[in-house]
Amino acid sequence: MAVFKTPFNGYAVRFSPFHERRVLVGTSQNFGILGNGRLHVLDLPPPGGSGGGLLLPVCAFDTADAIYDCAWSESHESLAVAAVADGSVKLFDASLPASSNPLRSLHEHSREVHSVDWNPLRRDSFLTASWDDSVKLWSLDRPASLRTFREHAYCVYSAAWSARHADVFASASGDRTVRVWDVRDPASSLVIPAHDHEVLSCDWNKYDECSLATASVDKSVRVWDVRAPRAPLAALAGHAYAVRRVRFSPHRESLLMSCSYDMTVRLWDYRADDALLAAYDHHSEFVLGIDMSALVDGLLASAGWDELVYVWPHGTDPRAVMP
Amino acid sequence: MASNSPPPGNTRPIKPWDRPGTSSGPTPFKPPSNGSTSDVVEASGTAKPGEIVNTAERNVPANTNTLARPVPPRPWEQNRLGGYGMNYNTYGSGMYGSYGGYGGSYGGGLYGNSLYSGYGGLNGGSGMYGGGMYNGLGGSFGGYGMGMGGPYGDRDPNNPYGPPSQPPGFWVSFLRVMGGVVNFFGRIAILIDQNTQAFHMFMSALLQLFDRSGLLYGELARFVFRLLGIRTRPKKAHLAGSGEVPGNDGKGQRYIEGPKANDGSWDNVWGNNVKA
Repeated sequence: MAVFKTPFNGYAVRFSPFHERRVLVGTSQNFGILGNGRLHVLDLPPPGGSGGGLLLPVCAFDTADAIYDCAWSESHESLAVAAVADGSVKLFDASLPASSNPLRSLHEHSREVHSVDWNPLRRDSFLTASWDDSVKLWSLDRPASLRTFREHAYCVYSAAWSARHADVFASASGDRTVRVWDVRDPASSLVIPAHDHEVLSCDWNKYDECSLATASVDKSVRVWDVRAPRAPLAALAGHAYAVRRVRFSPHRESLLMSCSYDMTVRLWDYRADDALLAAYDHHSEFVLGIDMSALVDGLLASAGWDELVYVWPHGTDPRAVMP
Repeated sequence: MASNSPPPGNTRPIKPWDRPGTSSGPTPFKPPSNGSTSDVVEASGTAKPGEIVNTAERNVPANTNTLARPVPPRPWEQNRLGGYGMNYNTYGSGMYGSYGGYGGSYGGGLYGNSLYSGYGGLNGGSGMYGGGMYNGLGGSFGGYGMGMGGPYGDRDPNNPYGPPSQPPGFWVSFLRVMGGVVNFFGRIAILIDQNTQAFHMFMSALLQLFDRSGLLYGELARFVFRLLGIRTRPKKAHLAGSGEVPGNDGKGQRYIEGPKANDGSWDNVWGNNVKA
């Protein structure tokens, strides 16, 4: 429906929790291996159809190293946070000019920061996961991190807040485990040996407090119940290569979205017999960023290494220009 | 930041899942606490603000017993414990010569690490002079600790610890460059990590291609030799059954050139050469 060509390779995309037509895109030069990063704020064209199917740039911020992930603040409509590959976490305010950004640059991770997630319930804190094996909890009212969670034995690729419990989050790591944490407890509450390969992403079911999904290098997505972590509730096979990101739908309990190094974006219903609902192959390179809008049911977004960002309603061809 | 940002009073639209009536029975979690995240964490006694993650003490005692297999060491810190001298030697000895050496070169990644954590500590300026940074510096830099004071003095002229500012020395800039190189390969290594299957399939496809093309060239060569009338080594089936290669029956009737090798098979040709 709408597309945008970024100068760098896309790494992450997020819908704004405040504005239904706004997305945040994190990109990196030279595939994130060497070079700068840029954070874009983009708007969908107005419904009149005069935009010609292009996302409209609102503003963009440059960083000195690749941006691997980004997230909107849940408390301030213009505030966003970026996970930068030099180990820093940077806060940007889209309502301020580029000269006064970043608002803050937090340097505590010693290696690349790979994921960032804002607490959707308490809205005042966010998590960062890094290749230095740690997850850090940050709050806007403190100058340094509140806590560091260090149990993983390899890079932590993703950390995700529970959508239904303000103190609980999960972290996915290259040590093949997913850990469930309570920020009030000194150690993790649960360790799930989730896959036979590295786990690259995890996300919580928005309607079931006990259910989470994991995505792995072993090409599968698995859905787990934390009360019975011995076996997955469902195993979704279909991707041809490692699954890079997984996200539960904000609108339907059993709907999942995943993207992979096989260059496809897939939608799944993990309770159905035929779990695969749709496979979108509109990207011509690795797809690294996906999101589902919480404000518009069925609106999807993806960003990939082909330097393109797509936003489209489920069921339509992402490449079709809006009439 | 509150002064720069819109007031938190502007309301975020409610999340679709926040509507009541979607409870899912008993859960294993303690009920959520009230208050801000920082208050909750500090009240629980688990807060440890501003902890710098030092990769040297990475493997804290953790319940890793559920790991299915031991986790391999990160490629960029294979000889991390070797210290500065060893890393330096690695640099000196052409570590990019072979693939094996490629892993070894990551030892220097530690160097980049320490550099960056120290950098963050100073720039953060929030009381991080304490443990992590200087221990880290002392530990990994060894005798070069004082020399390293220079470049950071630039950034913070009030730094009471370092000597006066000096331009970065040769080794400092050299090691910075090497840190960048090591970072570069570290990221490629992670990318390959995440693409294990893709990489494996790519390599096996390549090997298969070589394998197949070898077969192909073998067949082509055999065909050409037959055209030239040179008897190649017959296959075992031919030894027992049809006996001779059909091209040799007519003594070159169908061929422009006559038989080149009078006697014996391909093996004998080589054998004669050796003797001669």
